[in-house]
Amino acid sequence: MDATELCVALALGLPLLGSPLIALAGRRLGSRVGWLALAFPLISTGALLTLAAGVGRMPRRVVEWPWIPTLGLNLSFLVDGLSLFFGLIVSAMGCLVVFHAIFYLGRDAKHAGRFHATMVLFMAAMLGTVFANHLLLLFVFWELTGIASFLLIGFLHEQKEARVGARQALLVTGSTGLALLVGAVLVQQVSGTGRLDALLSAQLPWEQHGSLLTAAMLLLLLGAFGKSAQLPFHFWLPNAMTAPTPVSAYLHSATMVKLGVFLVARIYPLFVEAEPWAPLLGTIAFTTMILGAVLALLSHDLKAILAYSTVSQLGYLIGYYGLGPADGVECDYLHILNHVFYKGGLFMIVGIVAHAAGIRDIRQLGGLFGRMPLLGVATLVAAATMAGIPGTTGFLSKEMMLKEIFGALRDHDALGLYATACVALTSVVKVAFSVRLFANIFLGPMPSRIQRHFHAPSIGMQLPPAILAGCALGLGLFPGVLDAPLRALAVEGVNRPQHLSLWHGFTLELAVSSLVVALGFGLYWLGERTRWRWHIIPRALRFDLAFEAGLEAFSGFTVRVTRVLRSDRPVDYLPILIAFAVGLVGGTLLWNLPRLAGLLMPDWTAVHPLRTMVAALIALALVGVLVLRSWTAQLLSLGVAGFLTCFYFVLYRAPDLALTQILVETVTLLLVLLLLARFPRSAQAGEEARRPAPLRRLFHALLALGVGGTVTALVLMVTADPHPEPIGRGLLEQTIPLAKGSNAVNTILVDFRGFDTLGEITVLVIASLGCLGLLMRYKRTPEEYRQGPLGPPGAGFANEPEE
Amino acid sequence: MSGLRSYIFKAAVRLLFFLVNVFALYLLLRGHNLPGGGFIAGLASAIALVLLSLAIGLEELHRVMRFDPMRMAAAGLAMAAVTGAAPLLFGRPFLEHFDAHLTGLPLLGELHVGTALAFDIGVFLVVVGIACKIMFALGKSTQRLRALVAEEERRYSAPVEQPIEEEPPIRAATNPSTPSPHVS
Repeated sequence: MDATELCVALALGLPLLGSPLIALAGRRLGSRVGWLALAFPLISTGALLTLAAGVGRMPRRVVEWPWIPTLGLNLSFLVDGLSLFFGLIVSAMGCLVVFHAIFYLGRDAKHAGRFHATMVLFMAAMLGTVFANHLLLLFVFWELTGIASFLLIGFLHEQKEARVGARQALLVTGSTGLALLVGAVLVQQVSGTGRLDALLSAQLPWEQHGSLLTAAMLLLLLGAFGKSAQLPFHFWLPNAMTAPTPVSAYLHSATMVKLGVFLVARIYPLFVEAEPWAPLLGTIAFTTMILGAVLALLSHDLKAILAYSTVSQLGYLIGYYGLGPADGVECDYLHILNHVFYKGGLFMIVGIVAHAAGIRDIRQLGGLFGRMPLLGVATLVAAATMAGIPGTTGFLSKEMMLKEIFGALRDHDALGLYATACVALTSVVKVAFSVRLFANIFLGPMPSRIQRHFHAPSIGMQLPPAILAGCALGLGLFPGVLDAPLRALAVEGVNRPQHLSLWHGFTLELAVSSLVVALGFGLYWLGERTRWRWHIIPRALRFDLAFEAGLEAFSGFTVRVTRVLRSDRPVDYLPILIAFAVGLVGGTLLWNLPRLAGLLMPDWTAVHPLRTMVAALIALALVGVLVLRSWTAQLLSLGVAGFLTCFYFVLYRAPDLALTQILVETVTLLLVLLLLARFPRSAQAGEEARRPAPLRRLFHALLALGVGGTVTALVLMVTADPHPEPIGRGLLEQTIPLAKGSNAVNTILVDFRGFDTLGEITVLVIASLGCLGLLMRYKRTPEEYRQGPLGPPGAGFANEPEE
Repeated sequence: MSGLRSYIFKAAVRLLFFLVNVFALYLLLRGHNLPGGGFIAGLASAIALVLLSLAIGLEELHRVMRFDPMRMAAAGLAMAAVTGAAPLLFGRPFLEHFDAHLTGLPLLGELHVGTALAFDIGVFLVVVGIACKIMFALGKSTQRLRALVAEEERRYSAPVEQPIEEEPPIRAATNPSTPSPHVS
């Protein structure tokens, strides 16, 4: 194992394997388990930093372990600048968030083991997704992040909102993930490989399979849109904010939702020159951007504001790739890094504020600066970064954003204009809610409710957001530091980072930027003047309500369909099943009657006197079933027919079949007798009143005749035209040499078809467990359910037979 | 049922129980080469048990048996699965069977044994266990006893049991940003 393999194994494998250990250790260690969990992101960060140090020399490396070689699917990981960049964000952010969460959850946290285990599992899944070298492997990890996110959003599962939010997130990201799978399979089928290193170094066959590749691209982008909460899937992200705040900071701002951005960057060199790439990404992403910003301004819950602004920023990042030129974009890393700095920090800050003040509604907060000066400064820096004030990375990002968007204005006519308008408007709105976020939490008078409520947050909790704010400020003042690492991590065909500097001179961008800041402050002032009274999200934009209503309507629909189709009496299903089978098989036979006529003629010369007699006796016994009235007599008559069938098997020299038939017959007889004993005597004697209506009887008689006729025809056909090479002959020949047994029936059961037998006995056990479960649930009223998990005594066969 | 429990019937069934089970064992052991096998032997054994239950009564049989027949079925399934999986440990295909011919054994003389028999014993146990469990449950219900005792109900019930249909409708999420417009 060389150094690269070791680093990848440490970074990815260790957290994946360690996550169950954390869950186990959590039972013993309680809340201290967080410190154990912190080791995993630290190790991952270290390993990835080691890898990143060598990335300049070898731009693209592949690390591979066999997994399912027959499918061509290996645990193959691609180490290049893009995966390292995202991997480093994931692991470094993981360190900060886990550290933050230790203090956030507190000493007496319940289920700390489960929380940290899921967090580490999520980190492993994220790293797996960004490093995956095969589209299918990427899909597996992609869905694993969705599952981990489901568990984390639903961490406080006693709350209904958490359950609903978790289900929404899982359904949206999971189902769009399936689109990603279809897209991945399409790419693999069309180009012959799903390996990213092979795909990236070769050209896709656009000439031969243009439409298929376009479909694949659309499906892959659908997956990206779902994960990154783009229109029309943007609604799940705000509802996912019911998760504990460290989860929101980690999954729903810094990492998981960026997977869509990552995927777009990953497939950028493959699809950038496709016809619909720019219009599709541009329209959807920039619309999401402006919509998210407006919704953030209209929200009052601190986390909702941040969630919608995340949606907006994700829209920008995806749209940015959409409008990029063929040889790669320039500042994607800067934009992503900037967003991680301020949004991750702000989420943690918001969590701390809600923790300390007990309120998350921004209209009820204020005056906290005196109580939490460190947090206040960190918030000021983070909000300034979000607004794009000079001296922060946000300013650099916004300068670049404006510069590029003016470039796009030249390259793309209508789309460029739309994008420019969206970016400009969004920037104004963003300044407004950034100012609001800082000013309304920290400035002004402190409401008395908070004064009573307030308890100071620990310093450990405040440290991670302060670090992030420090990064935003430090790198914003000295952007030159970023040049070398970003350039080292650049990937050919995706991005080519440019030199960054604080001062570009008096340019158009600076003017627009100043105007934007001024307008943003104006918007804030307007909001304050009107006391934010107009801030209500219109119902038409509440997609989540429509989604939930749709889900509810679907489950209601299934209930209605079941009500219409089901019957309480199993007897009602029997004629349907039989009629279908007879109609299908008998109908096919009738349809082909002219061709089959010869086969259907019985061969009278083969009639054997003894066999004929047995057959006649069986028929007689069956007539008895029809004629007799008493149930017991009918049953015995049926039993006679069964035992005569055994005799028939003996005549054909099939002792195993005969033995089995005898025993099955006996057991069936016993079972049905036991069942009959449960009925009242009057019913057993065969009441005339219970006879069905004449028309129904006629239908049943016709059905019975149909079954008999069909089976007779089938038997005649099979015997008249036997298969030239019956499978039994080979088995008979091989039973002694291969299976070392002379009873072919048994060797088939335990050896040749042993797998079938194993499956059958498994099904038998499962089915009887289900029967026992049904026996308990039998006819229990809702009142009885309410009495407890097991209901009242005597459940099961509670209805006693009457005498 | 009480009419059945005459002394002669009881005595006859006890003898028969023994005989039928010996016959079942015989069928099981010779199954690989002559008519017989796990399935058939299992059915025969189950019939013997049902006869015994008719003779001495289900409560008495419960006291004698002391274990849940489903455990027998589970053990059988485990045995068949282990027999199937064991060759994997030696790099052989799943469910491959091995046999050996032993000579010079005391009492028996020659003996031919194979792993197929172990698989068949698994089938036997599954069939006996399940046939007994189901027939005992039905038999109890005809005698106005509870089909499953409380302990069994706990064993076979789902951890959280709730009515299938009477679920309250799920309401839409309350969005965190739902404004309450007149608070300021």
